[in-house]
Formats: sequence, structure tokens, C-alpha cells
Amino acid sequence: MIDSGKAVIFFYTIKPSGGTGAIDMDILKTKQGIHKSRGGLIRSFVSLENGKIKEITISGDFFLFPEDAVFKILDNLKGTPASREEIHKNIEETYEQENIQSPGTSPSDFTESIMKALEA
Amino acid sequence: MEEWRFIDFGLVDIRDMMAMDEAILKGDGGNTFFFWTPKKSIILGYFQKAEVELNLAQCRDYTITRRISGGGIAFSDDRCRQINYGVVGTIDNELFPLDIIDSYKQICGILIDTLVHYGLNAAFRPINDVVVESRKISGNAQTRWEGKLLQNGTLLLDFDIEEMLRISNIPKEKFMDKKIASIREGLTWLDRELGEQRDMEEVKEIMKQKFKERFRVRLKPGMLSEKEKELTEALLPKYYSPEWIYR
Repeated sequence: MIDSGKAVIFFYTIKPSGGTGAIDMDILKTKQGIHKSRGGLIRSFVSLENGKIKEITISGDFFLFPEDAVFKILDNLKGTPASREEIHKNIEETYEQENIQSPGTSPSDFTESIMKALEA
Repeated sequence: MEEWRFIDFGLVDIRDMMAMDEAILKGDGGNTFFFWTPKKSIILGYFQKAEVELNLAQCRDYTITRRISGGGIAFSDDRCRQINYGVVGTIDNELFPLDIIDSYKQICGILIDTLVHYGLNAAFRPINDVVVESRKISGNAQTRWEGKLLQNGTLLLDFDIEEMLRISNIPKEKFMDKKIASIREGLTWLDRELGEQRDMEEVKEIMKQKFKERFRVRLKPGMLSEKEKELTEALLPKYYSPEWIYR
């Protein structure tokens, strides 16, 4: 067997996990957008201010590596104009910056879930 | 032949187990295959919010924690007839492929080989399930850290499906693409498939055998290293903390 623990290059930097994800929103009173990707369910909760995303959180059984990059996705979305195009572009940029892999789930799937929350 | 460490943790508190799980991934114990059986509990996937996914009023006598890998809730009722396993291995593109789905498939092969041993028609359903006649019998979750992978999964021997429906909020969207009307038709377990109860220790022995055959390794009984014990101690507060569980 090759000892390629060295050969395999990992781009992940793991930060201490357990970010609070605490947001100023009662998610049980917020309408949720539900979208099922091949990789799992994505439930989005979004609040708006002046046509831009103010608060956003996500719950779901999808997979995404590195896991804590999900907080980057959410942080970067704050302040983004609430249009499908802008949201999709924003998530794609974070995917690139953070080298995100999410088998069966794509930026389009997150966008779809968020759009459903906005249209709910 | 390469030698892997093997540990059977037995019946465990899931918070302690998740701390040991992470410690094995981040420790110095090398490639390891391990078993445990959870006491009555719910483990949330990394991206799941407790108040969204669970009916918390029904969960008062459950131990709840969160794991470091994605995926859905791992529910264990008080029948305690589940074999949970963990694999920690170096991603070498041989035993463990770099491609995430390929590596799931490789490890899920242990479960498929075990089910086939019992005469069942088992198959891998990407991304992370093992099914018998298209009913899920095993859920699996993987995370990766510094060139290593950790995969956890369960093999259901018995399962209180009505109780799981009481404690969880699973929307209908979850099943719409699976050609089934509800979760009741989408899940199964070994006792039901075989029409009889098999001894859990016997099933574990078959799994170990299939593991050795699939990976062509020897399994050597072992325990946590000193470093892993220290890591576990350091990680325990996280797995017991509301900030981690209810974030």
C-alpha cells in the first residue's frame, strides 16, 4: 500500500468548530424554504432588510467539506441583494474561496432553498 | 498483511462516544475499526438545528448531541439493537479513495457484504446509504481531517420507527424523489428482513470478517492511546455543551 498520507494534499484548514451560528431571528416563526438536493435536504430561514439579506440560517442533512465553511457561506450572504442571480454568484464565490466540496449538493441547490424561503 | 486496531466500546453514552470518535480521528492511534451501541439518544448532523429537525417536547428523555460530520439525525431507541461502527483511515487512493462518494462506497461495502452473507439483496445507494430492496437499512456519515477520513454508520437490527417519527420533524420533501409515500416504507432493519433476531455479537463478528476480507488487513484488539485519552478529555465538554448541541 502506498504511504500517500503525504501524497494526498489537503486544502482544508480546520478551525475550532462550534461556531455559535446564533442569529437574531426566531427561526420557528420564520418561514422556511425547503429544497431537496441529491445530497440531502436544505432548509433555509431568511430575513430581509431593504431588499437585502439581513439574517440567514440553514439546517439540513447534506454533506459539505470542510464543514465549518458553511458559516462562511452564511456570513458572506448577509447584505446580498435578494435575487436568485446575486445569491447564486455569492455562494459560488465562497465555494471557490473555501475549496468547498459538497457531494450531491451545489450552489444552485442552496440558492433554490433560499429562494423558496424568500417566496414563502 | 497490514494490521489495524480494533476496539469494541460496547453500550455507550453518545456524548462520550462522539468525543472518542473525534479523538481517534485527530489522535495518533493509526488506522482503526471500531464498534459501539448507543444508549437512547439522538445525534444531530453538523448542519442540523435541533429546534428545526426535532420535536424537542418529545425528546426530553433522550441524550442529544451533535457530531462533526454532516448528514441526518442518528436516532437510537431504548431497544439498543443497532451496531454503530467507525472507520478511521489514511486517504491513500487505494483502500480509501480521495473521491468522497467512492470512499463511502468502499466502506459501505462492509455492510453490504455482511447483509449478503445473510442472504439479503443489499446495495449501495449514493451518497451514503445502504439499502435492502431499496429500503434504507444503514446510514453513514463521513468527515475528513488532515489526510484522514472518519466514517461512522449504523446497521439497524431493530428500530422503533413510530418513536422516531414522534421525535423528529421530517418534511414530506425528504421522500418525494424516493418513490415512497413515507419514511415507514423507506426504512428497514435486519430482524424484519430475516424474520428473526440474530445475536448482535454474531453480526459484529461477520462485519469484522467482512472488513478483514475487503481491506485485506488483520484486526488487532486495542484501546485508546494516552494521547487519544487526553484528547477525549479535552473534547468532552463540547459534546455536553448546549452551545454545541443547540447552536
